[in-house]
Amino acid sequence: MASTVPALSAFPSPYSIETPAGCEGWEEMYPYYAVFDEHRRDTDEQRFWFWNSMHFPTPHPAFDVICIDSPYQAVGSWQNRVFAVPPAMGIDYRIVNGYVYISSNPVTDPDKIAERAGYFQRRAGHYYQNWPELYGKWRTKMEALIAELEALRIPDLPEYEDEEVALEDGRNTAFYEVLDAYGRLLRLGDLMWQHHFEFLLLGYGAYATFAELCKTHLPDIPDQHIAQMVAGIDVLLFRPDAELRRLAARAIELGVDDAFVEGRTPAEIEAELGAGDAGRAWLADLEATKQPWFNMATGDGLTHDFHSWLDDPSIPFASITGHIAAQRTGARSVRPTEEIERERDRLAEAYGALLPEEVRGPWRDLLALSKTVFPYVEEHKFYCDYWFLTRWWNRVREFGALMARHGFLEDGEDIFQMTRHEVATALDELLLTWATGGRPLGPQHWPPIVARRKQLLERLAHWTPPPAIGVAPAEITDPMTIMLWGVTTERVQEWARQHDGGAELRGAAASPGTIEGIARVVRGVNEIADIREGEILVCGSTSPAWAPIFSKIKGTVTDVGGVMSHAAIVCREYGLPAVVGTGRATTLIHTGQRIRVDGTAGVVAILEP
Amino acid sequence: MPIDVRPLSSLRGGDEPSFGGKSSALGELLAAGIRVPAGFALPCEASEHFIAEAGLEPKISAALQRARGGELAEVTAAAHQIAGAMRAVELPQAVRAAVAEHYRRLAEDAGDAAPAVAVRSSAIGEDSAEAAFAGQQETYLWVRGADAVCDALRDCWISLYSAEAISYRAHLGGERRAAMGVAVQLMVDAHVAGVMFTCNPVTGDPSMIAINASWGLGPAIVGGEVTPDDLLVSKVTGEVVRETVSQKLIEYVPDSVAGAMERREVPPERAGAPCLDGPARAALLELARAAERHFGSHQDIEFAIARTGAPPENVFVVQSRPVTGVAPRVGGVGAAASALGLVMQKFGAGGA
Repeated sequence: MASTVPALSAFPSPYSIETPAGCEGWEEMYPYYAVFDEHRRDTDEQRFWFWNSMHFPTPHPAFDVICIDSPYQAVGSWQNRVFAVPPAMGIDYRIVNGYVYISSNPVTDPDKIAERAGYFQRRAGHYYQNWPELYGKWRTKMEALIAELEALRIPDLPEYEDEEVALEDGRNTAFYEVLDAYGRLLRLGDLMWQHHFEFLLLGYGAYATFAELCKTHLPDIPDQHIAQMVAGIDVLLFRPDAELRRLAARAIELGVDDAFVEGRTPAEIEAELGAGDAGRAWLADLEATKQPWFNMATGDGLTHDFHSWLDDPSIPFASITGHIAAQRTGARSVRPTEEIERERDRLAEAYGALLPEEVRGPWRDLLALSKTVFPYVEEHKFYCDYWFLTRWWNRVREFGALMARHGFLEDGEDIFQMTRHEVATALDELLLTWATGGRPLGPQHWPPIVARRKQLLERLAHWTPPPAIGVAPAEITDPMTIMLWGVTTERVQEWARQHDGGAELRGAAASPGTIEGIARVVRGVNEIADIREGEILVCGSTSPAWAPIFSKIKGTVTDVGGVMSHAAIVCREYGLPAVVGTGRATTLIHTGQRIRVDGTAGVVAILEP
Repeated sequence: MPIDVRPLSSLRGGDEPSFGGKSSALGELLAAGIRVPAGFALPCEASEHFIAEAGLEPKISAALQRARGGELAEVTAAAHQIAGAMRAVELPQAVRAAVAEHYRRLAEDAGDAAPAVAVRSSAIGEDSAEAAFAGQQETYLWVRGADAVCDALRDCWISLYSAEAISYRAHLGGERRAAMGVAVQLMVDAHVAGVMFTCNPVTGDPSMIAINASWGLGPAIVGGEVTPDDLLVSKVTGEVVRETVSQKLIEYVPDSVAGAMERREVPPERAGAPCLDGPARAALLELARAAERHFGSHQDIEFAIARTGAPPENVFVVQSRPVTGVAPRVGGVGAAASALGLVMQKFGAGGA
């Protein structure tokens, strides 16, 4: 890894990146195919790779590699093998010092592109023409999948099997049940990722086409106006926060809002509420709200660190406390949905009237199509990334607990330091020795490996990954790279400039307005409690789980994301200036620095060294 | 003969052949309820009447005859001779009386015995855009008193025979009528002045207003003497989409002693400050929308913001003309394109 070949472009060669001191051997956490290997050097070194900090902001734990493999298997399958998007196949990934870099595979042969176009037109056309019906089926499918996940039985390993196993027909012994459950759990995850990407690409594509038509005829139209015309906020993803606001209002209405004091734990608040009738009425409302709205994740990353509000109620309770304070003073209240919808329709009408006569028809149809597909684009996150995935990690934890009970791990949580294949191997040994009554090696074998990897991840967390490596192309053309990650030609050029230093960052102008203030760099949702009133949030990206902080901050800067990213949508809703997709704001800006965020121009200035 | 001098507010588009493009456009703006400084207009025939009454035709013909070869030196000499001849004679009594009367009414309305006015030429015909190039659109600012207005009026008429104008008419060939209308307008003591387009003239985006503005009276910008503040404002939401604040190093201000304009340096702390605040931007946006709506085409508008008062009352349009030279937006969608076809194209899957 630690070779000294000079960089070929503005970005370092993947083969020139050094391993931080004390992190030697980090590759053991990852599959052989996940690293920059000498056998692929002639091609890999010529490709453009960017750090996917949106999904993988921290050094990646070994087990969580499944949340790289599976999504890229799924997105590639749909994009390349099902819909056969003519110019683009799938996305490759490589891991460098624990961080995930990605690169798309283009189709360049014109004959091949033409061949794929035939498939795409027929298959994608079917989806667009039957979207509401197909999406209805999708929801049913997802709900069934989540139900199956919840119902999955992971038996313990008993001293003696139950009576029925011996006396009734068709019963399995625990060794089989455990192995079957583990296999089934992995397959359920794969199935979720398959569902996750079924509509996503087409949904983004319709939106991107609409945006492009707008820009052809209205070259100066701000991106956020395009987003506003398509997206109201009446999507599922905003329901959890809306429910918290409703619960805040209910607490005031019932006169129990004094129980919500900043710094109190949920248990303390619940204890006080439980003492009176009004408080108990509120608690009953809370219980009714939890399913499904508390199946929100505390973060947006695809790692096991993210729990749901059900697992960690401190986040929704802090949010309710914040909403109560805001509602009492009447300050910083979110605009009502109807007003946002009126503004959305007004924009569409005003822009439509400015277009040439012959464009208006297709433009209105495209807007309608974008509005049809948009709920999916937003809602899949709630079903897949939050609801399913937080439940799914918890089921994995049950296998960790099983191994811990039998001494294979010191702590059940340590299962995430093993690859999914190592877990299968360890379960094999555990079940073998349970069955035979023999002496397992696992308790000696696994704990030192886990300890070493924990230390590796801790050390790798101090390394700063460059936003991109390899050779930057003259132009970024891959539709997914642009649509999902906001990585455009301009953005890459900007990264290249920043590589040479500078006190100004550029990104997408996501929410208009200019604000100056003190930066608060937040690297994960677990740090959001540090944010003080009136600070400017600087982070990798945000998720709906971050909702509590938007009533506190003055503006937002993110490393990754486009104008349709969560931070952009919420900042527009709250009227906060935002610049997203700056590449390395969290690296260049430090907490306490004074910065200026120009959300209209997409520029962030660092005002103090 | 009586001279048909009229208040600007009484003119409409149909008066263009008699009063010229600028005066009739100002009349239209007033009719549309757009704030334009009050004033009056002289018809084209007034200039012809002046030349006829003073018996200048033979002298002019002779001078033009000598310049027929088109040599620059000869044309310049002819222009010089004609200017001298025109300056040597009195304006017709009828013209002076009419100007004096309309100026008095203007003074009365303005509540000022000798209000400052702008005297602007108002060219006729389809060539008015080219006429600007040919130097036929002289403007005299900060003119006070009826006699000074008459002098400025004469200067406008003299500009009909400037070297550029003579060459230009020769270039067009044939018999060209050398005549122009003149607009006399109350001067706005502008704190800020500028130009705006009701579309982005660079990209052709019809949803934007492009504004250039600088400190003081208009000439600093129109004459290209400063780099103005440059703004792009959304017509749909009123948001400022792009703003470049420049160092506006000089400005023109009225010189009350000399009764003219003074060019002076802008103090550094003001030079780099944005010259349009939120209310002024909002007022300009409204004016731009109203002008575009009224004329049914994109407009190139000169504006002035008075030193006294507050927006929108102190924001005036002093001139509006159709935008020329902006390419219409093309491409992106064929007439028969469908939404689905466009999505297919986006994914590289062929035409509609």
